[in-house]
Amino acid sequence: MDHIRNFCIIAHIDHGKSTLADRLIQRCGAVEARDFRDQILDSMDLERERGITIKANSVTLPYTASDGRTYELNLIDTPGHVDFSHEVRRSLMSCEGALLVIDASQGVEAQTVANLYLAMEFNLQVVPVINKIDLPSADVDRVMEEIDRDLALDPFEAIQVSAKLGTGIDDLLEAIVAKLPPPDGDPEKPLRALLFDAQYDAYRGAVLLVRLLDGTLRAGTRVRLMHAGAEHKVEEVGYQRLKRVPASELSAGEVGYVLAGIKTLSGLAVGDTLTEAERPAAEPVPGYREAKPVVFSSIYPMETNDYGDLTKALEKLKLNDTSLIYEKDSSAALGFGFRCGFLGLLHLDVIQERLEREYDLSLILSAPSVRYRVVLDGGSEIYIDNPTFYPDPASIKEVFEPYIKATIMTPERYLGTVMELCRERRGVDTTFSYLAAGRMEVTSQIPLAEVLFDFYDRLKSLTQGYGSFDYEILDYRLGDTVKVDILVNSEKVDALSQLVHRESARPRALKYCERLAKTIPRQQFKIAIQGAIGGQIIARTTINPYRKDVTAKCYGGDITRKRKLLEKQKEGKKKMKMVGSVEIPQAAFVAVLRTEDDEDEG
Amino acid sequence: MSPQHSSQPGLYLHIPFCSAVCPYCDFAVMHAAEAKRKRFVEHLLAEVALAAGAWRDPRPFDTVYFGGGTPSLLPPEDLGRVLDACRRHLTLASPAPWVYLEANPEDVTPDACAAWRRLGVRTLSLGVQSFSDDVLRFLGRRHTGNQARAAVEVAHAAGFDTVSVDLIFGLPGETPEAWRRELATAVALSPGHLSCYQLTIHPRTRFGVGAARGELTELPDADQAELFDLTHRFLGEAGWPAYEVSNFAKSPDHESRHNRKYWDHTPYLGLGPSAHSFAVGDASVRPRGAGDTGAAVGARRWWNEARIPRWERRVAAGERPVEGEELLGPQALATETLMLGLRTTAGVDLDDFAARYGLDLLATNDALVASLVADGRMVLRNGPEGRRLLPTSLGLAVADGLAATFDVSLPS
Repeated sequence: MDHIRNFCIIAHIDHGKSTLADRLIQRCGAVEARDFRDQILDSMDLERERGITIKANSVTLPYTASDGRTYELNLIDTPGHVDFSHEVRRSLMSCEGALLVIDASQGVEAQTVANLYLAMEFNLQVVPVINKIDLPSADVDRVMEEIDRDLALDPFEAIQVSAKLGTGIDDLLEAIVAKLPPPDGDPEKPLRALLFDAQYDAYRGAVLLVRLLDGTLRAGTRVRLMHAGAEHKVEEVGYQRLKRVPASELSAGEVGYVLAGIKTLSGLAVGDTLTEAERPAAEPVPGYREAKPVVFSSIYPMETNDYGDLTKALEKLKLNDTSLIYEKDSSAALGFGFRCGFLGLLHLDVIQERLEREYDLSLILSAPSVRYRVVLDGGSEIYIDNPTFYPDPASIKEVFEPYIKATIMTPERYLGTVMELCRERRGVDTTFSYLAAGRMEVTSQIPLAEVLFDFYDRLKSLTQGYGSFDYEILDYRLGDTVKVDILVNSEKVDALSQLVHRESARPRALKYCERLAKTIPRQQFKIAIQGAIGGQIIARTTINPYRKDVTAKCYGGDITRKRKLLEKQKEGKKKMKMVGSVEIPQAAFVAVLRTEDDEDEG
Repeated sequence: MSPQHSSQPGLYLHIPFCSAVCPYCDFAVMHAAEAKRKRFVEHLLAEVALAAGAWRDPRPFDTVYFGGGTPSLLPPEDLGRVLDACRRHLTLASPAPWVYLEANPEDVTPDACAAWRRLGVRTLSLGVQSFSDDVLRFLGRRHTGNQARAAVEVAHAAGFDTVSVDLIFGLPGETPEAWRRELATAVALSPGHLSCYQLTIHPRTRFGVGAARGELTELPDADQAELFDLTHRFLGEAGWPAYEVSNFAKSPDHESRHNRKYWDHTPYLGLGPSAHSFAVGDASVRPRGAGDTGAAVGARRWWNEARIPRWERRVAAGERPVEGEELLGPQALATETLMLGLRTTAGVDLDDFAARYGLDLLATNDALVASLVADGRMVLRNGPEGRRLLPTSLGLAVADGLAATFDVSLPS
């Protein structure tokens, strides 16, 4: 077992995690040069394009070290974003060590710190890696200083590499072997295998990626998922190289895959423990937690008749992403769609982009919402994440909303603006501390709802791109939440209703009204656009009717041409969504519902 | 029903010649030398005979309209020969149909007027366009403002039942003041009928090319709207209320009997290049009614070759020079009824519409009508003559958009 090293790479977004992984894989010859494709572990187009890992992957690398021995290096990939911290935890639990990657020019960032804490929580041995030393802007001395001061790690232990050029990769492989501990565990004890990822294979069904803590696992074994309670017969085990390589058995300390004829991923929860049905372990691996969606939005197809395609696309996505949840939803304005729950805003973004790109769908997404805890007059509690189901305010006693702990890192000169941003977003207990010369860490307890609406973009622009942001969910706290409706000529546009804090209600309603006024074309009659809380109007704009559109003359008897033009015009109108007698182009919904701010806000 | 609402068919004769082709014109027109004109007339005479064989409607034509082009370029004798041919081959109303003639001001002389009167012309429609020399030059017209004024006076003196003046507005850079002066000049001459057309820049015209090159800038929409409002307000107050988007009459008997047929699906036969024809419910239509389920409505519209050489070639070959045709089922007719009705102050007869097409427009468009009425675009009248939906002048200004907004889908 001492020839095995299980490790992961953790890093702030963009610090080069995937490139480093590629280089390690290449150096260990796990892949032929001609098969090599940059960022192999990030197998989705989207991941490669965005440079973030959405779905963890893992690979076993054979490495012959300078001591002459051949090691089995299990690189366990981790998703690179806080939304997937649940999956990150599972990945970390499968490891004994971690490479903490730090960009040589960016230095230590919010997620670097958060990741380190996470690694320490799981007792991982951490090797700092300074990446991108080839960049002209690289400042290795400064980064070493930050490693010392902010991370309290030994900066002289840090390995300096350029993943892009391959510089320092050999040193890094030696360090993995020398500094990271081998796994322990007893192959004779009852089986305990942590399920840290599951993928879907069109031919074989679910592919479970597991880390064996104790026991051995081979084909034919009957296994039980300790949390789900389901039992399956193992058909095949092996190592996940870039392709699956079957093996006769997996034993304690090892990482590998399991095929057990499981048709869908839906019953599989990352973090569950596999044990032998005949000889079960006494306790599952601790730390199991269900992934809970925190952000909700309704997804509608632009073209109502794409609903069937959307349904199929979501079913397929769900195969590979158990954290995506959805149920049918419908809107008077937008037709049939789905109410979806996401692990966070990025998760929402990723799902939207995958639906649009991989399934070629045009979508309208309603304003993202958090899940509120509503206490009714009688004392009963309900959870509401869809404005449509928000109860009559008269029957509500109090409303609680989820809070997060936001951690923001910023150059010192933006401290004031960042603190102000937190205050604007109802942040409480905002504190700051110096990380290093000129760098600050701000923490604040902010309602999650406040970061859903263009928080990250604002932070980026206020700090000219230098600010970084990370968060964890804290708890539910009493809030002052109201439901804002948008009315077009007195007709409620259900898809635009939203739950917001009372203080944000008016500015938000006004913003929606203005965006609608800009994007709804003039029509034959005056259109009043209003924002309202119940019967109270809090914002209003008007679209004046257009004044003239007739062409001068019906030329002689050529009525046909005129009618054809009209029919064409009518055809175009069919693509509009009708609210009462007002035609609203889909573009208006898209414009209104986009979460970014724009220059019109002033 | 007033004579303007006759259900008898109308006859249109397209005379495609101009002394100069105007830079905004997209009609089928051409310059013509004397010999060409003669040849054209011979072909038109031949087409009258060809068309007569295919026209099934037995009712007499009660209007004959010489349009163009510039029909006043044809010598009266030629016009007379054409009319004679029509009388011979087709059934014209007796004692005489109402004859319309479009004329350029420079062609209007007392002698010419006397000759036209003898032919039976009752409405002389003058292509004045403007009374301003600068504007006329810009429009490429050959007459001056003074000639235009003189032409109206000469026509009046000749005793036509209706003298009509065509004006164009919405020229690049035109101000409300300038347009008001044009209207005032026109009104001072007291024509029975006025047509005020908004300049439309068509792509394949000299203006269109100029606009594409950026040499010519179309008047912005808001300014056009202002001129449109001004036209309707000014002429309404002066005693020439609108009866259609672009047409104004001093009294109902000056309204165009002929154009009315285009707007209310009365049959018409068009001869000459590019002319359109329309026939309702004749036996030749019904069986091929494009999916119609034997409903009582069904119509056909067809149009002649627009290119003069082709038109001539086909006529010479003894064929009807029809370029295309369209069969109209109830849905197309219902759409047109609304589209055309909304362009007239008479509006849409809702009961008649419901009876014809089995659709109560009010029931399917209630919210729309309510907001249009509230905004002063339309009036809903429920009088002894039934329910009517009438556009106001605000409504007329957006009649095309209104038509597109209504749901006219017939129950299947």
